[in-house]
Amino acid sequence: MQTVTLVPKEQFKISVEAETITPDNFAGKSADEIGALVAFEGNAPRPLSELFDIKVDGSADAADDVKIDINGNVNRVKRIGEAMTAGLIMINGDVDMRCGAKMKGGTITIKGNADSWVGQEMTGGEINVQGDANYYVGAGYRGEACGMRGGKITVFGNANDFVGEHMCGGEIVIKGNAGILPGASNKGGKIVIEGDTDMPGSEMTKGTIIVKGTVKDLMPVYQREGIEAIDGVEFTKYVGDVVVDGVGELFVK
Amino acid sequence: MSEMLIKNATVYDPINNINGDMMDIAVKDGKIVDSVSGSARTIDAGGRLVYPGGVDAHTHIAGSKVNVGRIMRPDDSRLNNKPGTKVTRPRTGYTVPNVYSMGYGYAEMGYTTAFEAAVPILKARHTHEELEEIPIIDKGGLTLFGSNWMVMDAIRENDLDRLAAYVAWGLLASRGWGIKIVNPGGGEAWGFGKNVSGLDDPVPNFEVTPRQIVRNLAEANEKLNLPHSIHLHCNNLGKPGNYETTLATFDVCKDIKSKRDRQSLHVTHVQFNAWGGNHWGDFESKAEPIADYLNNNDFLTIDMGQLVFGSATTMTADGPVQYANARLLKARWSNGDVELEDSSGVTPLEYHPQSYIHGIMWAIGLELALLTKDPWQVLMTTDHPNGGPYVNYPMVMTMLMSKKRREEEMAKIAELTFERTSIAGIDRELDWYDIAIKTRATHAKVLGIVEHGKGHLGVGADADIAIYDIKPDETDATTEYNKVEAAFRHAAYTIKGGEIVVKDGEITATPAGKTFWVRSSAPADGHERMMEDLKMKFKKYYSVNFANYMVQDEYVEHPYVVETGYQ
Repeated sequence: MQTVTLVPKEQFKISVEAETITPDNFAGKSADEIGALVAFEGNAPRPLSELFDIKVDGSADAADDVKIDINGNVNRVKRIGEAMTAGLIMINGDVDMRCGAKMKGGTITIKGNADSWVGQEMTGGEINVQGDANYYVGAGYRGEACGMRGGKITVFGNANDFVGEHMCGGEIVIKGNAGILPGASNKGGKIVIEGDTDMPGSEMTKGTIIVKGTVKDLMPVYQREGIEAIDGVEFTKYVGDVVVDGVGELFVK
Repeated sequence: MSEMLIKNATVYDPINNINGDMMDIAVKDGKIVDSVSGSARTIDAGGRLVYPGGVDAHTHIAGSKVNVGRIMRPDDSRLNNKPGTKVTRPRTGYTVPNVYSMGYGYAEMGYTTAFEAAVPILKARHTHEELEEIPIIDKGGLTLFGSNWMVMDAIRENDLDRLAAYVAWGLLASRGWGIKIVNPGGGEAWGFGKNVSGLDDPVPNFEVTPRQIVRNLAEANEKLNLPHSIHLHCNNLGKPGNYETTLATFDVCKDIKSKRDRQSLHVTHVQFNAWGGNHWGDFESKAEPIADYLNNNDFLTIDMGQLVFGSATTMTADGPVQYANARLLKARWSNGDVELEDSSGVTPLEYHPQSYIHGIMWAIGLELALLTKDPWQVLMTTDHPNGGPYVNYPMVMTMLMSKKRREEEMAKIAELTFERTSIAGIDRELDWYDIAIKTRATHAKVLGIVEHGKGHLGVGADADIAIYDIKPDETDATTEYNKVEAAFRHAAYTIKGGEIVVKDGEITATPAGKTFWVRSSAPADGHERMMEDLKMKFKKYYSVNFANYMVQDEYVEHPYVVETGYQ
């Protein structure tokens, strides 16, 4: 087991693009080797050693045996864990945008809040956000055909608008409330919102959305299919979006 | 000024009938010369392949529709990104690269000239602003006339002199090189949500047919003695069964006599117009009758419009076809109306080898190139970025050179493709000389820029030279296609106007390229009648003022003007 501890040396004022912070990149490396990896602070390439205090305990042959602990404030550090395939990242605070983007495996736990696009286009693995998440949880980059394609994202707090936009697979669970238009243009996957939301499933062609709280506004593009029980609780089942010949399933209490 | 000597070059220069001769090439002041002094800078090609700089006669590299493509496809700008260097700016994009990347990408492959194939006069200023910023390569633009009110009114009133005068004026107003016709009449009909269904379907409100538009513009083209022939995108593009329209369109220009040593008709991206069947279910290739026609007639040339699997951004002045595409594929769609001139549309899409429709389209492009006997008649293009981005030219070149390479690709493609096409049975493999024709010589000849120093290495030509890291006498392109493709992707040297712009596949200098355009005289009385009609149209219909319409010289900072005249 290799444990890497990163502590930011300062409160970053300019955002840092740190897609190099992944278990795959860190596996088997010493503190000096990890420190030599490059992240961009604004438009300037900076070695990680200039940005973080780095401590390494133990060693590992592969990413699945690596744990990265990030202590201190990284709310201006983007793209942590991008495309990681295995291992564990613990972020003991808030994190900036696109955490876990294109992630294929492993686990990221965020103790604080996550900014927008957490788990963007992820295909596997698991992300747990213990605080709130901002816009576009598990969505795709602008213009991309598919957002999240696999894996699971759990947000224990609230999420902002456009949860799972363009989602093609995988599962998103929001324990709190979600903003407007969750599951817009969905092509697959499952979204569970335990709190309230507004206008779910617009342009959904496939996939499932379950809302356990209140839907403030249901888009008038869904056909009612009757009552169905999920885990012993009765939901009204709708199918749509009929405007785009969708066969997505929307369950509302 | 500077002198350069390229020694031990294995040269293929089809315009000068040089087929793989080992020779030296002397360069002085940006031109090819007979000999240079002893102090000239020497490059030892060491027997490696040397071609004239590549020429692309049909591509979409600048203008409002390319920009619309960029706006619609932020996802595309994530692809192919490279940071800037000391000489280059940062690069983004695959199907719609940023302006600088357009020039770098061509130069890296040994290309030094590319012509933008669709410039509406109203949008020409924007096009030239972009063309000026595309580094390294020489450029030109073909001006759209095929759905223009001025054109159709003059044709209906049977006033060929007025039509010729308008074409001459339109080329000046747009600083354009030649006449481009896209879905003749269809762009205007699309303004009313309609299309024209064939050559004899009159355009609503104008009562002229696509046949008359093509025929009259071809005649006006010869009256003005323009360097290029008409450049035609046929009616019914993108519809199964359209090959009949295509063949009938060829016949429209059969007896037009070209005044210059060139074709009298160039039909573009014929891959999209050689489709058989009645619907998508019985969709099939009709490349054979098209190739037969070409084999029996030498008045016309075509380009392939080869499809490349993967991402593409289709953009065309053919507005209705883009609406149909977007509906069929549930894709994003942008629609444009160019006032009295044309329409346009942009739709991003993905070509999948598992789809037999895309497989058949892939096969048709290659069939057209391989079944047509004369290599000068079929230009290699992908109709960038409609069939696929131009950076894939090296791959297309290897597919023309190697049956084995084609078979490797065929293994990925839906089975039904091979029942509906003849690609599997074609054994022809092009050689180094044929490829030089298909990628530079015939492009320059078709455009009419050979006499302006493009597409060849004769004395007096521009010193646009590509040296590729491959020795033709030691390389079997039919089996070593990966090596060939790698060499074509990154030229060992690209020399543009006597300056080394690429060395070992890296950009080393970014000089500005020239922009070709034509200034043509026109019949005086035709011009008078035309101006009267034009001013009336500006007053009544255009949203811009006549005085603000024409592209000013300030927008074409590096012009190369060719004078020609009415005869």
